[in-house]
Amino acid sequence: MKSEELKNQEYKYGFTTEIENFKAPKGLSEETIKLISQIKKEPKWMLDWRLKAFNRLKVLKEPDWQKPKYPKIDYQDLYYYSAPKSMKDKPKSLNDVDPKLIETYNKLGIPLNEQKRLSGVAVDAVFDSVSVATTFKGELDKKGIIFCPISEAITKHPELVKKYLGSVIPLSDHYFATLNSAVFTDGSFVYIPPNTRCPMELSTYFRINASETGQFERTLIIADKGSYVSYLEGCTAPMRDENQLHAANVELVALDDAEIKYSTVQNWYPGDKNGIGGIYNFVTKRGACRGKNSKISWTQVETGSAITWKYPSCILQGDNSVGEFYSIAITNNHQKADTGTKMIHLGKNTKSKIISKGISAGKADNTYRGLVDIGAKALNSRNYTQCDSLLMGNKCGAHTVPYIKNKNSSSTVEHEATTSKINEDQLFYCNQRGLNQEEAVSLIVNGFCKEVLQQLPMEFAVEAQKLVSISLEGSVG
Amino acid sequence: MQQLFNFNLEKISSSKKELLDREKNLKLFLEKGLPNKKDENWKFSDLNLIVNKNFKKITNNYDFEFDKKINFIKDFEHNYIILVNGSLKSSNLKFEEKTKVLIQKLNSLDELNYHTGNNLYSLNKALSSGGFDLVIKENYKCKKPIIIYNYFSSNLDDKMINNSNKIKLEQNSELTLIEYNISEKNRFLKNTFENIEIEKNSILKNITIQKTKSNGYFYKHISGSQGYNSSYQNFILSSGLKFNKIEVDMNLQKEKCNCFILAGLNLAEGEHQEIKTRVNHLAPNCKSYQKIKNVLESDSIGIYQGKIFVKDIAQKTDAYQLSKALILDDKAEFNAKPELEIYADDVKCSHGSTSGSIDEDAIHYLMTRGIELSKAKKLLINGFLSEIFENVQEEKIKFFLERIINEQIDAI
Repeated sequence: MKSEELKNQEYKYGFTTEIENFKAPKGLSEETIKLISQIKKEPKWMLDWRLKAFNRLKVLKEPDWQKPKYPKIDYQDLYYYSAPKSMKDKPKSLNDVDPKLIETYNKLGIPLNEQKRLSGVAVDAVFDSVSVATTFKGELDKKGIIFCPISEAITKHPELVKKYLGSVIPLSDHYFATLNSAVFTDGSFVYIPPNTRCPMELSTYFRINASETGQFERTLIIADKGSYVSYLEGCTAPMRDENQLHAANVELVALDDAEIKYSTVQNWYPGDKNGIGGIYNFVTKRGACRGKNSKISWTQVETGSAITWKYPSCILQGDNSVGEFYSIAITNNHQKADTGTKMIHLGKNTKSKIISKGISAGKADNTYRGLVDIGAKALNSRNYTQCDSLLMGNKCGAHTVPYIKNKNSSSTVEHEATTSKINEDQLFYCNQRGLNQEEAVSLIVNGFCKEVLQQLPMEFAVEAQKLVSISLEGSVG
Repeated sequence: MQQLFNFNLEKISSSKKELLDREKNLKLFLEKGLPNKKDENWKFSDLNLIVNKNFKKITNNYDFEFDKKINFIKDFEHNYIILVNGSLKSSNLKFEEKTKVLIQKLNSLDELNYHTGNNLYSLNKALSSGGFDLVIKENYKCKKPIIIYNYFSSNLDDKMINNSNKIKLEQNSELTLIEYNISEKNRFLKNTFENIEIEKNSILKNITIQKTKSNGYFYKHISGSQGYNSSYQNFILSSGLKFNKIEVDMNLQKEKCNCFILAGLNLAEGEHQEIKTRVNHLAPNCKSYQKIKNVLESDSIGIYQGKIFVKDIAQKTDAYQLSKALILDDKAEFNAKPELEIYADDVKCSHGSTSGSIDEDAIHYLMTRGIELSKAKKLLINGFLSEIFENVQEEKIKFFLERIINEQIDAI
């Protein structure tokens, strides 16, 4: 990418879609929750579950141990439900969907029209609080794969939802998770039947459009025995000078011999150069490797959001299960990130691997915080952690806070971390061969992140590489 | 809480003012009580739980009398300071010039008012029975090391010792200070605060050794500051206590200083040791190096919490942190939190942490050469720990440390 191109590259997803909205009244109350449940036509058990979470929320306190501090959020001044009016009665097919919405997704580079798609990716598009469309449903149905909005799953597949919802992230886990349990609106539900390999990538695209609205989505993925699924998640939001809250819960369950690969490219609006506006991305992501030989792999490229605060984790319950975490977190200007993972080893012969790359530029703060906990019964377990930080300029910060616990003698834990700046020699070498400073930095940073970028599915990898360059725009020189 | 603690402040106060001051601090302490694991600094060592489990009542100590002869170290010539139950008893600095090395009794560390978050500091101020104040005058290099014989009498059951020390090295001076703990089988608590000031071009080598197994529960907080081109080397070899937490908080104030913190611990049944460090790089071109090694037997718990802080102006910092643990038993546990907080970009900071059991291949190699299993293990443990005190330059002290470590390993 040319350097002029880089310079002119503002946040390109910052537009707003002018569309008539239906919003639930502001504020967090039992009425709001009942209204959401009513709009979604939920059964009683679901409403009860939400109210239980709400009651629990009343006694919980917002955590305050994180590195990035933020002004107090007024939970009564938020909209908890917002949907385009045209979505009130769910359109039966893509032809019935409001053209404005289709256009929005085209602009974001996510055509919902199946014919236009070259690659085989099935998309569930979530706009504010509702799912707009899910593509390739027919093809997935044939294999018995369920891929639908969670609100649909609650009514159509209650036995699965009842069994797994809240089984990885309990209702009373922590403040934001409980808040989500009470007010979650939409998100994706995936069920892969036994011994099935999902033939295409599944993907959800989240878009926050309305102002003063929080997005609370809930994703639940279940991979039954011997199955495989690769799931992608993308997110954008308009440019606004207010901070918006995004508190999602993502639960993954992998049974015997199953594998889930979960990739995120997070590009929420990061706020402007002076740190005004942007999304607060407070997300709880957790996967349980319940079965033997199961595997969960998290890959994340975090370039957006004013504050990113999340720890995609793996609970390795099944013997021989594997957890992986690959992360790139880039913070520029006034962005702040406090991210990492938790690997909780409970089963025998469990393995985990953590590769984290943090890049900090401008006045940003980037923290890796992680936990590796090897239980007394997790014999012969292994963990390898590598977290590298790159600093660009002396107004930014890079921090590493790993927690390492090892409770048995047959397990091995290795942790390595380094912090440095871009190597002068490498820069000089690139400059010498005719690359200007910005191109050289972009090249070196991409090399620094290579280990993680490699883990992304093809379609995402190209996009993510570009994103890495754009995010660091203006940070050199 | 009040039932557990039963302190007599009147007996240790010399004036009405002092008594009031102590009462004020005790009240401050009792409000929050002993730190528990909700406190991030005590996350891995819940002192409240540990104390409540092992003590029914605790009183303060006001007995500072000897009741036994001390066996002096004969391995090398040295000066000595004798502390009885934390209080300065006598000193013999026969190898040094009288005007250059000054020692006196210290009553309290009043100027140390930056421990606002540390509740044990309030407790220390409430009950402090003093300690020593050691000053090395400028341009003086001590000829022989000074050993602090930290002696504990045999009537300390359920008592608590609170003391505070001050060590100051003026410009261009040098000192090797060895703290040697000798205690009986009593079950007691000790809470120490120490302040170290190392001025320009000075070198302080500080070695902590525990002589015998002890039922002591120790907490020690060392805070210090370093001047231009100064050096601080801290060797911690204090295995044998039931509970021991050493906190080192070192401020590298001026350019070109270096700070080494090295620990080799060999923990046996029922022992719980924590090393917590915070090295603050506040000026450019400084170097810090931390290496913590733990050998964990039986149900022992080893903890390392280390933090490197690099201020934005501290360019060209070179900071390193390594913690390694050998876990010999499934009941043993190792916890680490090696932390980096960096605000300068032209730095080299790294940390590593590993834990696991003894390398099977290495044991196999030794056994094929005719060395039996238990001996092979001991050999490998020895190699693992000896890396720490190899950095001690004085041959005689090194041999002495080697001997102590060997005795510990033989006891496995």
